[in-house]
Amino acid sequence: MGAEVPPSRPAGRPNPALLGAWTLAAAALAGWAFVAGFGGFLDQAVAPFGTYDIAVTARQWSWSFTYPNGWTADTLHVPLDRPVRLTLASEDVMHGLSVPALRLSEAIVPGRAGEAWFEADVADTFELRSDIYSGDGYSGMRTALIAESPAAFDAWLTRVSDIFSGRTDVEVGELLYNRKGCVACHSLDGTKRVGPSFLDAYGHEVETRDGGRVLADDAYIRESILEPNAVIVAGYEPVMTPYAGQITDREIAAVTAWLKTLSGHGGAEAAAVPDTTGADAGQKETE
Amino acid sequence: MSGGSGAPDAGYLGGSAAPGGWLGTRDHKRIAVLFLGWSLGVFLLGIVYAVIMKLRAQSGIIDTHTYHQMLTQHGVLMVFLYVVPAIPSILGHFVLPLQLGAANMAMPGFSLWSFRFYALGTLCFLVSLFFGPTAAGWTFLTPFALTGEGAFMLMAAGLCLAALGWLVTGLNIIVTVHTRRDSGVGFFAMPLFSWGIYLAGYLLAAVGSLFAIIIVYLALSRAYAGGIFGPQSDPLLWQHYFWFVTTPAAYFALLPAVGVIGDMVAGIARKGFTGYRVTVGAMIALLGLSFTTWGLRMLGTGLSEDLGVVFAVLNLATAVPVALIAYCWLATLHRGAVLCGAPTTFVVAFLLQAGIGVAMGLCLGSLAAGRYLANTLFVTAQSHYLMMGGVMTALLAGLHWWWPKLTGRMYRQGLGRFAAGLYLVGLNLAFVPQILQGLAGVPRGVYTLPAELAGSELVSLTGVWIMITGLVLVASNLFGSLFDGPAAPANPWGAATLEWQAESPPPAGNFAAPPRAAADPYVG
Repeated sequence: MGAEVPPSRPAGRPNPALLGAWTLAAAALAGWAFVAGFGGFLDQAVAPFGTYDIAVTARQWSWSFTYPNGWTADTLHVPLDRPVRLTLASEDVMHGLSVPALRLSEAIVPGRAGEAWFEADVADTFELRSDIYSGDGYSGMRTALIAESPAAFDAWLTRVSDIFSGRTDVEVGELLYNRKGCVACHSLDGTKRVGPSFLDAYGHEVETRDGGRVLADDAYIRESILEPNAVIVAGYEPVMTPYAGQITDREIAAVTAWLKTLSGHGGAEAAAVPDTTGADAGQKETE
Repeated sequence: MSGGSGAPDAGYLGGSAAPGGWLGTRDHKRIAVLFLGWSLGVFLLGIVYAVIMKLRAQSGIIDTHTYHQMLTQHGVLMVFLYVVPAIPSILGHFVLPLQLGAANMAMPGFSLWSFRFYALGTLCFLVSLFFGPTAAGWTFLTPFALTGEGAFMLMAAGLCLAALGWLVTGLNIIVTVHTRRDSGVGFFAMPLFSWGIYLAGYLLAAVGSLFAIIIVYLALSRAYAGGIFGPQSDPLLWQHYFWFVTTPAAYFALLPAVGVIGDMVAGIARKGFTGYRVTVGAMIALLGLSFTTWGLRMLGTGLSEDLGVVFAVLNLATAVPVALIAYCWLATLHRGAVLCGAPTTFVVAFLLQAGIGVAMGLCLGSLAAGRYLANTLFVTAQSHYLMMGGVMTALLAGLHWWWPKLTGRMYRQGLGRFAAGLYLVGLNLAFVPQILQGLAGVPRGVYTLPAELAGSELVSLTGVWIMITGLVLVASNLFGSLFDGPAAPANPWGAATLEWQAESPPPAGNFAAPPRAAADPYVG
């Protein structure tokens, strides 16, 4: 084959004008790519004013979305034509929140407060999933993002947030015990925590710090929730946060009804003490 | 081209040509052959993993956990043990001393140890698979690398050994270029392949040592559940270290690839190289930029906006040297008497595939798009275009170019062109669907693909089979030539660089008579 090929001939020098134009064209292309992407990048980075805020929590391998009224769901409902700001948190490893249809992709790093925003302008159901490897369940870590008209969104949130819907007062009382944070300080088995146990609390007389005695009736329960430091049970400190303005009368009544079931003085329901510590079965709306 | 015209002189391949036999050899050519054989085995294993993972979508042949394990092994095999070190190890060891007119590398013991480190590292990795493959991903994401099952420590030891091999190879290359230009080859009269290998030498040395260090730190963090990358540290810290160290590793694969194509473009055009100094300057610029571009890899992991802008600009800046190099290639081919052999087809394949990879890189550097695409299959496809379409194609091109020198045999040109065409078609069928899936937002590394992608996955799988068929034909053509190929002349392509003045295959000392170096390496 060597005999068939002609000998090499010297090369010419590069044409400076052509080389310059070619290089400038490449630089211009790269510059255009930068400029074209820069505006959108900044838009994504800074959320506008007037956003509707939803807190996103990712964990191996599920999502939860907490709305401004405290309701937590495992699907993300958003109102149309309004910027939605997501605050992002991870309970364990890194995750990524990705909604390709809305060009949304944001890392969720444990220990860091993340943020992302978007605005849906089409009523539809989109896939929301993780796009950062988080272990074996990574592929299944997806849920739905449902964009709907503001009226439909409000109706949905009102409906699912109404904790009395489909529940008895006793069930709602138990749910509030878990959701309002009572569970952290008041046990259901007589164990002394920061506050007195709820076991056999209702209907009993208790000794107060100032040496008096008070009957734990409906009025006392109500006062202990709204102004907990008015009367302190002996052996405890006045450290509870007042719930005035954070709980409705109907909810107080539900809690009271539930407390009765935990007490020998509460009525027939008191026979069994449900073990609900830490349980949160009714908290989530699943769709 | 077939039929054989008598056995060529066995040269360095002959039994008595070099002391130490094969496994103890210090002859750079035999070392290159050892690297070639070992790399081929690693590549085959990596391909088996790829096919099994591809089949999951159709057949569910593996479960999720096995898939993540295999994804990790595929990445480690293909990136760290095959495609990144392949060109410097195989072609670098074989061609560099010949192009410099030298009898051997400057430090033949280092050559031998570079292979031993590589082989031992690979063995450690393979043995680790029997004790439990890790599933932390080929980027060893924390905390999975710290707490996940698997013989992580053995794999880490294997990677440290492989990295030591890079360090040793890099030092050997640098010293060889500085001390073994025996025939008066001027620094700016070195062929572009030698320049590519020389520049890669610095990266091999730097990345080899840094990679070994961070792997040791990661292993210590795992062993003691603490330390710099331990469970208490930010998971992004490891990722920054990892990408800072390994992004330049891609450049020690790409710079020699640029060199291979540079030499071949001049050779197949039958001309001197237009813009030699421009190309060398552009390659040096790429070397400089190689340590500044890692951050864009982090765009999908919460990188700050300021840093996102800085890294996007630095990444896009690589467009200028890449454009300069491409101009010089095209200007050299312009009005050349282009040879119509298999090497030419591989060069064309390289230009097309690497061009697509570079264009995709522009998309990733455009921040809004890059941020959206950063964690999708688009990135997977782009790295495959650069590594398989770019580096692997350059390796195949180089093997077809220097095969007559390596073995003393000619292979079938028509079959070579056909195989290159199949490889090109297969590669695109395999990865264009991945580009489209990435644009649709499909994340990388997910086991379950959306049902509507079944069709495009089938196209992709078909592409993989076509690509493999092309590679089987490449192997049968090249290795078949050892049995029935005609003896290769010393200079089958009529090229001017010094290696073609040696016999095919060269004897142990390379040159029977001192080679004559010209002022222009491409015009003899």
